[in-house]
Amino acid sequence: MTEPSLISMHGITKRYPGVTALSSVNLSVKPGEVMAIVGENGAGKSTLLKVLAGAINADEGHIEVSGNIVNITSPRDSQACGIAVMYQELNLANDLNVAENIYVGRELKTRFGTVDFRAMERGAKGLLAGLGVDISPRELVGNLNIAMRQMVEIAKALLVAARVVVMDEPTSSLTEGEVETLLDLIRRLRQQGVSVVYVSHRMREIYAIADRITVMRDGAVVGVRDAASTTPNEIVQMMVGRELVDLYGVRTAPLNLHASPALEVRGLGSGSLVHDVSFSVLPGEILVLAGLIGAGRSRTAMTIFGAVKRRAGEILVDSKPLALRTPTEAMDAGIGFVPEDRKNLGLFLGLPVRENISSASLSSISRMAVVSDGRDRKLAKHFAGQLGLRLSAIEVAAGTLSGGNQQKVVLARWLARKPRILILDEPTRGVDVGAKAEIYQLIRHIAAEGVAVLVISSELTEVLGIADRILVMREGYGVGELDARDASENRVMAMATGVQEVVA
Amino acid sequence: MTMQDVTNNQENTVMGNASLGPSDPKETLGGRIKARVWRVLLARESTLAGVVLLLVVFLSFASPYFMTPGNMTVVGRQIGLALIISVGMTFVILIGGIDLSVGSVVALVSVLTGEFMVVSGLPPAISVILAIACGALVGVLNGTINAYVGIPSFVVTLGMLAVARGLSLGITSGSTISGFPPEFLYLGQGSFLEIPIPVWIAAVVALGAHFVLTRTTFGRHVYFVGSNEEAAKLSGIQVRRIKVTVFVISASLAALAAVLETSRLSVGQPAAGNGYELLAIGAAVIGGASLFGGVGGILGTALGTSLLLLIQNALILLGISAYWQQVFSGVIIVAAVALNMWRKKRN
Repeated sequence: MTEPSLISMHGITKRYPGVTALSSVNLSVKPGEVMAIVGENGAGKSTLLKVLAGAINADEGHIEVSGNIVNITSPRDSQACGIAVMYQELNLANDLNVAENIYVGRELKTRFGTVDFRAMERGAKGLLAGLGVDISPRELVGNLNIAMRQMVEIAKALLVAARVVVMDEPTSSLTEGEVETLLDLIRRLRQQGVSVVYVSHRMREIYAIADRITVMRDGAVVGVRDAASTTPNEIVQMMVGRELVDLYGVRTAPLNLHASPALEVRGLGSGSLVHDVSFSVLPGEILVLAGLIGAGRSRTAMTIFGAVKRRAGEILVDSKPLALRTPTEAMDAGIGFVPEDRKNLGLFLGLPVRENISSASLSSISRMAVVSDGRDRKLAKHFAGQLGLRLSAIEVAAGTLSGGNQQKVVLARWLARKPRILILDEPTRGVDVGAKAEIYQLIRHIAAEGVAVLVISSELTEVLGIADRILVMREGYGVGELDARDASENRVMAMATGVQEVVA
Repeated sequence: MTMQDVTNNQENTVMGNASLGPSDPKETLGGRIKARVWRVLLARESTLAGVVLLLVVFLSFASPYFMTPGNMTVVGRQIGLALIISVGMTFVILIGGIDLSVGSVVALVSVLTGEFMVVSGLPPAISVILAIACGALVGVLNGTINAYVGIPSFVVTLGMLAVARGLSLGITSGSTISGFPPEFLYLGQGSFLEIPIPVWIAAVVALGAHFVLTRTTFGRHVYFVGSNEEAAKLSGIQVRRIKVTVFVISASLAALAAVLETSRLSVGQPAAGNGYELLAIGAAVIGGASLFGGVGGILGTALGTSLLLLIQNALILLGISAYWQQVFSGVIIVAAVALNMWRKKRN
């Protein structure tokens, strides 16, 4: 208590027409502290971060930096206070190299006034070395993976001598190994006296690094806890305001192991990313493809769905080999596919939820190529209702929904086609805990109705929680199949990484 | 949405047993009319409609000539011709493309109409059909190169702009073709119920296009492709086919406008249609279409076309030199888009 706060936000309130996004929120961060902010989507975390970043101006409240009231009305003000914000969507120019990105807006000049690339490269190299990452300052950012791009963002933050680095769900698209690298880096920042504000859904990461946890719900802070003296379950309960009994649910209907597989893949190959992958999924079964990012799982799914070219192997639906050269052919064979990247591959963000839901079923609600408005609305309402979307929401643009609800819209699109095989690529990425539980319930249901479900997941707890069987992929090959009952995080991780045993 | 709801939903089946009959009658009447009125008032087109209306009222006071039948006929015909092209452009812009070749297609088809009808002496109906088919072929080329080779439509149609203009100059060696039969000239110069034929044709085209875009599966697909091409592909939409079709629509409508223009002026000329592509793009954009695709509509485009041509007419009637016209058009296009963006931000 005696230690003064580096940043403290007092009574921050932000109202939008019809909603109060933040009501009188307090947040304080001490020097060299890692403060985690948790809360379901829509709890106000992002709005709070944007206020701190100067991207949004609060209606009430004030911010103090080292005890002095500051006036943050623009991102420039925020930076001047030593606050660096890393958004989920990284703000890097893919066509510029690492050094140029780090020095963007602060380019070093030679004495003739031209850009001093050499000095920038030297500086960038120093910053990156200080972070313990090995990236060439001349590499184009577009060639780096997301984890490396985050390192570049962090280096950029350090360049402005940030005293607080704010990270908004930095691990949502990282593999487990990359997460570790990032967490190490955060520990290193803390040692250097830099404070970190860390927003995440993932309890494991939060408990690995956070000193304190601020829990938000419905635009207000419901509590601040010391990480050391609180259990993850307590935090989750504070977040959702209720007890989560069982996140993943259990199998309700027994699996008929003698049924012939709904989907069978033999020796599938696609480009240099998928080699000789074989598996089968029974009706009503949930098979999870586990592995690291880049293991070829998404590519396998896209190949089955006809979205990328199959080079080798056979795909059998109900024991019949099918060509499946295009998504249309796959859809006609009863396959549905919920892609990983909702925003870029899944949704029509600017179009109403209703049109998103019916987009793959237009022929069934139209006559002579004329869409029936009534049946369109009815279809959308039916599935919106079943998936727990507000019925009034069917006319709003899909892009305005939260991550969880967006995922439900994509799911609804495929359920409307009554598929017999459903492929879900990272179905809970960027989805808050409450909506996650709902999505797991939905997957259980879909399976219980006899649909063969293929789930791709990079989260080990999810893999083990939802799967009947697990196929682990590594570098494009299927490296092993496990019954979910015999699987453990260590076994899956060992197969995914190719090491014999992983120390937990 | 709480866990409770999910548990409740367990009673229902998730896989739909929805009976997809007609929607229940209760919501068809009173509620729907009310909802529709609101939607009309709040639509982005209503501001634009207000501006066009104000302009008409202002002009009828400011100039004694504006409301005369003579002026109305001239303005109506101009709006009609431009609207036909703008409608086609709207389709292309909706998929996130652009068609810079429409002005040159007008020239090519104008010249070909003359070649077939006057030089080769084919019957007018056959000549018109052949000429429009040639225009459509330009669209097939544009669309195929764009969709299957993957060259951006801006580049493809920029090339076609030069090629089609060059062809029309080459075919005629730069001269004009006249001597059309009178029954052909009726198409562009005649009237039905005191309303010029081009206006009728434009109305039919616009209403048809509006129906296609708002009510048909093809229309939905156009919006899907423009909104998110990848998602459209993964929803089983034949994206390439949609793209080619859209460019064929754009070129065919430009060809139709060319035939009407040729008939109106009684001359097939390689200089026809100069700058029409910019007028059409401007009209669609003023009407609220987004150059990124997925946003826009025929109503907006019709209002945008009317606004641009009424302003042109106003400048003439108010005695402002024709040399200044483009300045006004340019300012209006940018101002309209700025207004749209501002409205979007405020929401």
